[in-house]
Formats: sequence, structure tokens, C-alpha cells
Amino acid sequence: MAKKSPARKTPAKAPVKLSPRDKKTMASLTGLADGVVKAANARRDPFVDIPSRTLSNVRYSARKRIIEMGTGKNRRQLFDLSQAKSYMRTMLVASGCKRLLDEGKTTSLRGLFYMLKHTIEKTKENTFDDQNECDTIIEDVEVLINSIREELHLYAENRGAMVGNITIVDRGDTIDCSRMGSGGYAIPSIVEPEVIELNRKKCDANFILHVEKGTVWQRFNEDRFWETHNCILTHGAGQPPRGVRRLLHRMHNELKLPVYCVLDNDPWGYYIYSVLKQGSINLAFESQRMAIPEAKYLGLRSIDFDRCDLSDSVKIALSDSDKKRANQIAKYPWFEKKRPWQSEIQRMLKNDFKLEVESLISKDISYVTEVYVPERLEEQDWLD
Amino acid sequence: MAASSRKKKPATRKSRSESNGSASSNDAAPRKAAKRRSTAQAMAASQKEISVSEFFAKNRHLLGFDNPRKALLTTVKEAVDNSLDACEEAGILPEIWVHIEQTGAGRYKVGIQDNGPGILKKQIPLIFGKLLYGSKFHRLRQSRGQQGIGISAAGMYGVQTTGKPVKIISKVSPRKPAHYYEIQIDTKKNQPKILNGRGDGVDIPPGEKGASVIEKHGIEWVDQPHGTRVTIELEAKFVRGRGSVDEYLQQTAIANPHVTLHYLDPEDYEYDYARSAEVLPHEPKEIKPHPYGVEVGRLAQMIEESDSMTMGEFFRTKFSRITPAIGRKLCGAAKITVRTNVRKLNRSHADNIYQAIQTIKISPPATDCICPIGEDLILKGLHQVVPGEFYAAATRPPGVYRGNPFQIEVGLAYGGSAPTQNVTMELLLELLEETDTRTVRQFLIHTFNGLGGDGADKIVKVAGLKTRQNPTALKPKDREKLFNAMKDVNVAEGQQMEVMRYANRVPLQFQQAACAITQTVLGTNWRGYGLSQSRGAMPKGPVSIMVHIASVWVPFTSESKEAIASYPEIQKEIRLGLQAVGRKLGMYLRRRMKVKQQSDRREVFMRYLKEVSGAVSVINGAKQDELYDKLLRVARKVTSEADVKLDDRGRPIEEDPTEMDLGENVLIVDPSAHEAAINRVEMVEEDEE
Repeated sequence: MAKKSPARKTPAKAPVKLSPRDKKTMASLTGLADGVVKAANARRDPFVDIPSRTLSNVRYSARKRIIEMGTGKNRRQLFDLSQAKSYMRTMLVASGCKRLLDEGKTTSLRGLFYMLKHTIEKTKENTFDDQNECDTIIEDVEVLINSIREELHLYAENRGAMVGNITIVDRGDTIDCSRMGSGGYAIPSIVEPEVIELNRKKCDANFILHVEKGTVWQRFNEDRFWETHNCILTHGAGQPPRGVRRLLHRMHNELKLPVYCVLDNDPWGYYIYSVLKQGSINLAFESQRMAIPEAKYLGLRSIDFDRCDLSDSVKIALSDSDKKRANQIAKYPWFEKKRPWQSEIQRMLKNDFKLEVESLISKDISYVTEVYVPERLEEQDWLD
Repeated sequence: MAASSRKKKPATRKSRSESNGSASSNDAAPRKAAKRRSTAQAMAASQKEISVSEFFAKNRHLLGFDNPRKALLTTVKEAVDNSLDACEEAGILPEIWVHIEQTGAGRYKVGIQDNGPGILKKQIPLIFGKLLYGSKFHRLRQSRGQQGIGISAAGMYGVQTTGKPVKIISKVSPRKPAHYYEIQIDTKKNQPKILNGRGDGVDIPPGEKGASVIEKHGIEWVDQPHGTRVTIELEAKFVRGRGSVDEYLQQTAIANPHVTLHYLDPEDYEYDYARSAEVLPHEPKEIKPHPYGVEVGRLAQMIEESDSMTMGEFFRTKFSRITPAIGRKLCGAAKITVRTNVRKLNRSHADNIYQAIQTIKISPPATDCICPIGEDLILKGLHQVVPGEFYAAATRPPGVYRGNPFQIEVGLAYGGSAPTQNVTMELLLELLEETDTRTVRQFLIHTFNGLGGDGADKIVKVAGLKTRQNPTALKPKDREKLFNAMKDVNVAEGQQMEVMRYANRVPLQFQQAACAITQTVLGTNWRGYGLSQSRGAMPKGPVSIMVHIASVWVPFTSESKEAIASYPEIQKEIRLGLQAVGRKLGMYLRRRMKVKQQSDRREVFMRYLKEVSGAVSVINGAKQDELYDKLLRVARKVTSEADVKLDDRGRPIEEDPTEMDLGENVLIVDPSAHEAAINRVEMVEEDEE
């Protein structure tokens, strides 16, 4: 592959015009490569310092109410047995992104994985065996050269959907989200202003209701909840991908819409809320662009089993890992000082079971859309 | 029952059956009316002496003839042991021929010849045709055989199972005629019965004339100036692997590096173990018993058998290590005087003396009566036979158990990679060309020593060959597959330490678990020496250990001489010996590991350098080759330690033995050049032509 690229570069280079953003990215990539040459010339061990993406290197800013990345860095050296391979992969990903920039094209994470995957000369070893290996390296490169995925011309699979009283422009096409049928508008992975334009005047909705997964979203959409309550309805297919989070962030800030979440009553649901609200540990460098500190947690609550008078059959026992996770979450700095949250988590542990949003169906098929959510909104009964 | 009969002694004479009836009246009601079945007179008629040979004919498992497989091994073993003892006693460097030939279903003919001193004509029938006839029983001296049962029992077994007589040919000198006998053992009388030459055997004149006689009679004989050949035909089963003749001879060759062995097995494979030492082990001395090793019964017997002499003289001449001073002390403690005549002592005196011996401190026995193999020769022997790259040996100073001196020796062979992995394609093609085996599996087993059936199966499976494929008819593509499989399969995986046990240079092959040697090996922690070992199991890895115990009296757990009893003194010495070689292995392995790590490290870097330089040149257009060279230079600098090793010898991982201070008695060789690793079959081809 390395041999092929110079031949291909020359014809491809001329016609593509780099945007100012691309130029900045390109400069960072070149800087990375120059570092290697410099080290080799000085007969020194080449290395990169990658900001560390671990819990120990994130800081909760009480003022901004988001998770921010600290200054901790991990040195990745070429001449270190345990790091040599990841160093090589880092360089490969950087070179792959450079080629994408050169050719003015974007590709999916999986596409890049295939672009870079090959057998290392004279061995039976592959550069990458698994897409996950490639994905983490991409995140490393993002923090390393301080450019987000979009700037590297990479995108993820579309995940999550939206429906509601809003009209947006996506790559020049006007999309009326109140006329999306049963499937909804698939939220793309890149939702930057160049791709999606939001306009306050074209939005009638009063708030955003984010639900955890497609099945629940389906229920709300079928009951035309967004119509009766004049809102926007989104879901993130579990842990919301960056596209969904970024879009929620933009709508929240640009259209001034409050965000309410309806998630499962389990540690996983708490964590999804935590990510939406404060940002994730892994992608702490993007919190600024994605976190919505004002997001509210509508439900399900651990008191709902009694409050809604649910039957025993909907209980799901907590596993050991659930309990461990719950205790971990309780200790996160952004939950630690919030008494309602502490009692919420303790209550769940005391219950010793978890509840999915679907469990409300046991009351009535549309209980969640007709009773549960409207009541919570009416009473302004939520966790913050 | 015993107690009750004793109580009733005065009354018993009258009627046994009556007393019996009353003693067990409640449980044997119907017996009351039992008739006398026999009388003392009638019984006396059938009471007669049992001949030793009859006894052993019925109880042949006591002598190691439990089953056909073991019978074959025992026969070879007894004959070889006798030959070695004879040669060493006569001061001749032993050369031994073993020939096993199948004569029918489950029948084999075993011929063993030595270049020993030969046997006098009138002794031949007695030695081979009479049980318990021998020279070694009555003396306290280190030797292989002890009782004088072995070879005649083998002959007896042969006669019993096949009806064929034992054939012996023996020659004392090149100028004198050789004697040829065909003998059967008369089990009733424990007497030899000579079948040929009208009960007198046949004399074969020396020189040309003799050769024609030999040919006429169809006698097997490798021409030698002197020596003995015994041929026994017996019911047997030939196997390979554990407890086989192959293994026994191989192990014998290790412990007896001064012996040359020629072995022709029933499948016509010839094995030659050439001697690696040209000197005989020094002759073991006969010693007198040490007082600590004498039991009270034996002491009483010695007193009884003694000529008339004073106590002082008795102690001095019949025992070792009793100085006049100690003799006086002993007499004092036993309440007799030094001048008391031995003949006047009775049983209770013997008891007193025995008690006195236990309380008085007597210096340990002289240990020069033991002749160990020696570290040097152990290394040579192991190297000659066991393929490997690292050898270590340790001879412990002599010790004493129960008044018997003994000495422990330990040898260790460590073979890094299997011989299959060291073969080049050209050599493999050659080997495939010259082999006469019928299947690939057989080819692998016979060609590569220490591979074994499991390893061969693995290789065949990985190569994707059919099980019954003929090795000579392999297609070039299949040959390549086989070659690659041999390189890829790690045969050593799951391999366990092999323990070879020896007592007075004789390999012990059975009852492994009951033996003090095995127990001590298991009880030693090998993890500290770079081997992996699960709790209570043999350590893993391509390691062979040999442990030799030399003693005037080896404490076997049973008559069959298969396992050594666990005396704490012996176990301690074994452990110390194992630790001595273990430490050296540990040092070697650690050192090797370090160098290997360095070179592994470099290999890892080298692998990625091309990728890195390629990626960098894509990004900033740097010259890829130039950058690669520069990075390579940095890599060399970083992994310089491995480089030094490279430059010294020109091989990737090579040890400089002088640099490694492992002390003495260590041998490090290049495993790929090891002769014992690969069996060539040129011999057989020559025979056919």
C-alpha cells in the first residue's frame, strides 16, 4: 500500500481544493510525520504523546457542568515492545486520513479499517484484525492532533432517529420531520452546520424528548406523541452515537429547546443520561460540543414500580456487574453531590431489580405516552 | 485362631477336628459330622521338597516374566547385565550384540553376544541351566546382578513356552576351541540337561575349520577372539516406547558410556551405540559389612559360623570400621571382654552386642567401594544418546544409609527445539529418499529420535496428509506440506520431563511411581529453574533427567528390582543432586531467555518499521527507504544486546559457553548438528545390496 500511494497522489492532488478546516488538519498530520523524520535523523526513539482517555484523566468542571479532559498524556513509543504495534497503527491511521483529505472524500470507520488492513510484509500478521482495534486508534488520532472525526473525513454508521415539528436542511434538501412516516429521519453521523442547517423559524416544537431505543421511540411515534405535545422525538439506539449527541446539543443551544430523557431504570440508563448531560469519559475532548448540562432525567425511576403499581413479572434481577456499575456511577463526581440521584441509585440497589421502559406496557399499551410522560412533564417531576 | 490353638495345646494331640469343632461350634454346625479327610501318614506321602526351579517355573512373575512383553525385556536385560559384569570384571571394554528376531506369531529368538572372557566348558551348563548358581551372591560389592537367577530363569522360560533349548557358544581364547551347547533345564532337579553332542556339547575348533562348523550348524556368532553368545527362543511380544527393549538399551548406553552396543530389532532396524569413553570404570572393591547395616539375626549367624577367635579379632576381621578402641567399647557395652572367644557366645550375647552397636558411634563405612559413572561420562553418555542442546551432570559425595555406602549421580539433558524443526528441506528430501518405512507416520517416528507417536500424529495431521501415505511416493507438493508442518508443529508442547532411573548402571523401567527417585523429582520445585510444573506433577518441557544410585546394596522395594526404597538419606542426596543440575539449567534458560527476548524485540520492531516509514512518507512525502534505513539504525542501537550475540557467532541466538559462568560439568551444543537426533538408514540399504 505504501508503495502505491505516491503514484496515485500526483494526479489526485491537483483538482482537490482543501477547505481551511482541512488545511488545519493537514498541517497537524504533517507535523506528526515530521516528528518521526526528525527523531530518526537524530537517531532517537520516535514517540507521540497521546492525551489519555481514562477516568483518571478527566475532570468534572462544576462551573461548566461538563466533563473535561485533563492534561495527562500517554507516551507511545515505536521502540517499546508493548507499544510498537499501536505506534505503527497510529501512523497508518494518520496516513489513511491524509489520503482521504487529499482526495476530498469521506469514508466510514469500517471503510478506513479496510483501507488500512493488510498483511505486514514477510509475516503472517495483519495491521488490524478487527475494526475495534482501528476505531480506538482513530479516537487516539483525534485527540492527538486535536481534530474531531469529521475533520479527518471519517463518519460512523447512521444510528438513531428523529421525528417532530421541525424542518431542517440536510445537504441542501429540506426535510420536514413531521412527515417522516413510521421510520423517522435517520440522524447522520456528521451533523455539523455544513451538513445540517437548523433554523429557529422552522421549528415549532417546545421541547425534545429523547428515548433510549428504537422500540420505545416507535411507541411514541405511533401514538403521535410529538404532535399532541408539540415536541421533537429522538432515540439513540442505546448509547447515543456522536451524531445524535451533537444534533441534540445543537438543537438545544441553537433552538433553545429543553431536553428530557426517558431511559431504562438500570445503571446503563443512568450512564446514557450521564453521557448526554456531561459527556463521556472516552470522548471527554468533545464534551464542549456535545454535552447538554440542562438535560433532565424523566424516567424510569426506581420508585416507579410502586408509584405506577407494576406487576412483579416485569422485574429483571440485577446482576453482579449491574451492582458494581451502579456503585461506580454513584461515585462519579457529577453524581456524588446530588442527593436525589444518590437516593435514586440506592433505591434501585435496594429494589434489587431493574425496569425497562417497555415494562410500562404491562399497565396499558400506551400508558407511557398517555399517562406516564405527560404526568411527569405536568408535575415537572424529574431528576437533574 | 492362632491364639485359641495355642491355649489348647495340651489337648490338641487327641483330635484336631474335635478341637476345631468346639472352637467354632456356633458357626459350623454341619461340620460336626465331618469325616477325617486325610491322615498324617497319608499327607506325609505327598509332602516333599520343592525344587527352586519348580517354584520359579510356577511363580515366574517374581522374576519379571509376568507377560510376554516383559519376558522379552527381562531376557535381554539379564543377558546384557551378565555380559557387562563379566567384561568389567575381566577388564575388557564391553561390546555387545543384541539381535531379536521374530520366528512365529508371538515367538521371538533373542541372541546376545559379548566380547567377554568366555566361560569354561564345565561351567557353561551350570551357569545357564541351574537356578541360583552364580558368583555375586556371597559378596558385598557393587555389581549389576546379585542372585544368579536371571539368565537361567530366562532360559527356563524359553524352554517352557517354546520347547526350544537355550543355545550357548563360548570362547575363551582365539587359539582354543569354542564350546557349543544346547541346554534344557530340568525343573524337577534344578539341573541342566545337555541336548547336543550326546550330552557333552560340541567343540568348535578355532580358525577356518571352526567357521565351517558354525556355518554347518547354523549357529549365530559374530567372530571374536573370546566371548559368549546365548540364544533363547521364547514366547514374547515386541513393543516400542515405555518399558521396551529399545528404551532399556538406550538407557543402558547412557549410563555405560564405555560400552558399544549393536542392536538389530525384529523390524530389521539397526541401532549402534558407540562407546564415548575408552576407559573402564575402576573396579569396585569388595567390602565387609558395616556394623550399622547388620541385623541381629545376621549377627548371630556370623557368630555361629565364625572360626575360633577372640571378640577383638572377630570385630576387626569381619566388619569394617571397628577399630580396636571401638571394639573395646562395644565389648564393654555388651558386658563381655575383648578376649572372650566367639564360639562361647550364645544368642543373648548377640542380642547384647546388637544393642551395643546401636548406641555407640561408629564412623561411616569407606566409600571407595563404590564406583560412580562420573560427571564427565554422564555428560558424554547423555550427549551421545539424548538429542538436546544443554547437558549438566552432578555427582554427589557418597552417603550412607543403614550402614551401606551409596552415591547419587544426576544428569540432565535439555533439548530446546525438536529435531524435526532443525531439518533442512534438502535433508528431508534425502531422508525421504532413503527411508524404507511404509507410512509417513512411521518414517517420522523412526527417523527423528524422541518424537514419539503423538508428535508424529500431530505433524501428519497439520500437514493434511493421509495416515497411510507412503513417504517415498510423496508428491513434491505434499513434501513441502510435510516440511512446513514439521517446522510449525511444536512437538515439545505438553511434553513432560522424562526420568531415567538407574541402580548400579542398570536402568529401572517399571514401578515408576513407587520409586524414591520419581518421588523426589516430583517433590522438587522446578519452577525456580525455568520449567513449568503443576502442583504434584512432572515438570513440563523437553527435559530428560537421569538419576543413578550406586551402592554395594541397593535397597529395592521388592525382589523384582524395579523401584528404590525411600530412605530419607537417599532422598536427600537425590534432591541435592537434582538441585545442582537444576540450578545450572535455570541459569542457562534465563540467559537464553534474555538473549531471545532481545532478538524477539528487534524482530518486532523490524516488522513495523517498514509500515511506519511507509505511512510517514504518505503523509509528508519523506523518502521511504531513507527513513527506513534511519529507523533501522535506531532499532539496532536500542536492541544492541542481541546484536552482540549476532556478531560473535554469526547465528541469531548463540551462547558463548565461556561467557556463561555455569561452572563445571555442563555441556552446551548446537542442537541442529546433533548426530543422535536423526536416524539415517544407510545400514539397511547396504544389507540389501
